[in-house]
Amino acid sequence: MRIWLWRLGLLLIALTLWEAVARMLNPILYVGPSQLPGALARVLATRDLPPLPGHAWLTVSEIAAAYVLAVAGGLWVGFLLGLRQTVGRIYEPLLATLYAVPSVVWYPSLMLFFGLGPASKIAFGFFLGFFPVTLAVLAGIRQVPATLVTVAVSMGAKPWTIFRKVMLPAMASTMVGGLRTGLALSVVGVLVGELLGARAGLGYVINYAYGLMMTAEYAALVVLVAAAVLLLDGAGALIEARVKQWAG
Amino acid sequence: MGGLKIAACQALSVAAILIAWEAAVRWGLLDPVFVPAPSSILQVLGVTGAEALPRLGETLLKTLLGYALAILAGVPAGLVLGSRPTAHAIAMPYVVALYGVPKILVLPWIALIFGIGLSTAVLSAAVFALFPVVVLVAAGTRDVDPALVTVATSMGASRAQIIRKVLLPTVLPSVLTAMRVAMVFALLGALIAEMLAGNRGMGFQMQRAALAFRAPELFAATAIVSVVSISVVLFLEHLNARLGRWR
Repeated sequence: MRIWLWRLGLLLIALTLWEAVARMLNPILYVGPSQLPGALARVLATRDLPPLPGHAWLTVSEIAAAYVLAVAGGLWVGFLLGLRQTVGRIYEPLLATLYAVPSVVWYPSLMLFFGLGPASKIAFGFFLGFFPVTLAVLAGIRQVPATLVTVAVSMGAKPWTIFRKVMLPAMASTMVGGLRTGLALSVVGVLVGELLGARAGLGYVINYAYGLMMTAEYAALVVLVAAAVLLLDGAGALIEARVKQWAG
Repeated sequence: MGGLKIAACQALSVAAILIAWEAAVRWGLLDPVFVPAPSSILQVLGVTGAEALPRLGETLLKTLLGYALAILAGVPAGLVLGSRPTAHAIAMPYVVALYGVPKILVLPWIALIFGIGLSTAVLSAAVFALFPVVVLVAAGTRDVDPALVTVATSMGASRAQIIRKVLLPTVLPSVLTAMRVAMVFALLGALIAEMLAGNRGMGFQMQRAALAFRAPELFAATAIVSVVSISVVLFLEHLNARLGRWR
């Protein structure tokens, strides 16, 4: 309870400081928190801005498509590489090396190939989400105790039973962590794609407001999108905690 | 299977992919306007590389400046948050929340204030790299076993001795990991800033090549940046391993 009060206090101090600093500086560039509600109302009323619901819906569908593809691809490649030891030992280091490249270097090529429409955003979101899912499956498979599998096989368990009763519980918490990271990165991929060049979507609306120096509207949009992202990640954290509980 | 055999298989697989790619372009399965053949990328690699070198240098300078900012601010912040439970309980949720927000959202605002020059990319690199550093260092510092500190104190160790003999060896690995991870994030931040609001540097060059449909040049630039980034990360990993042995 005390902690919550302190947290609230910290937030209030930060907002007050922000407001005080913003008032001293150029109002075109620096927007205080007191201006956000009004700007948010203007954004939602779509005054001077492209209509928000349609663009938001497009962004959400792009994220959904990217994430579904990333999970499907990541699970497939992860199990393909993980269940065969030699294949995994050859390709896992290659995959891990690609991780050391700042992901945005791939985006211009995807933009060239898929154009400025939704396809390039979906492709980039897929690309970013794919790696954590794959690597989490690989790490999860390594956590399965080999003796348990041997015992289950010797007792005549079928492959599907082994997968469900032995492998899945041992892998679950690692895998769910990877699925959550994958979702966060799919979201980032789509947003980055939309901000670097798009004709529609939330990133486009943000760029539009920024391009016209509508700083208050821009800030309101950023707060809105950031809150949505955090809410989504919070839901992911709840699911992750549940699964970890189940897996013990 | 020995390490050499694995390396051979890896090299063969990469070669096989490149040959299949080349064949796909030659047979018309891939349009060279969008996906140029490896051979044509190789042809422009010399010219693009010569052109890219100063730009790459500029991008790396921005990356390093932002990286230094992130480390200088992030490591002390992580140490404070990790060693004081109350501060951790109060402030950590905000740090984690800021860590989770896509940084690209605030980039337009940074560009609006600082223009399209050096400082925008430096700040962007710092913003991208800061939060992973704080989170990793705070987590590493929290892992210090309080019992060790109590035992050392009761045996009459001075504050300096505790820091040197107990805290440093436990905290150092997480700081080193943070320093390695932060490098990729800083490079990411600098490149995105150049792509979004720049008129120089590697990110700008890549974005321009994409919009002008100069695919071979774009792929060559992508390859150059990737190789540089991988080399930097491998170098830092090597350094980490050396330091680990010293400990």
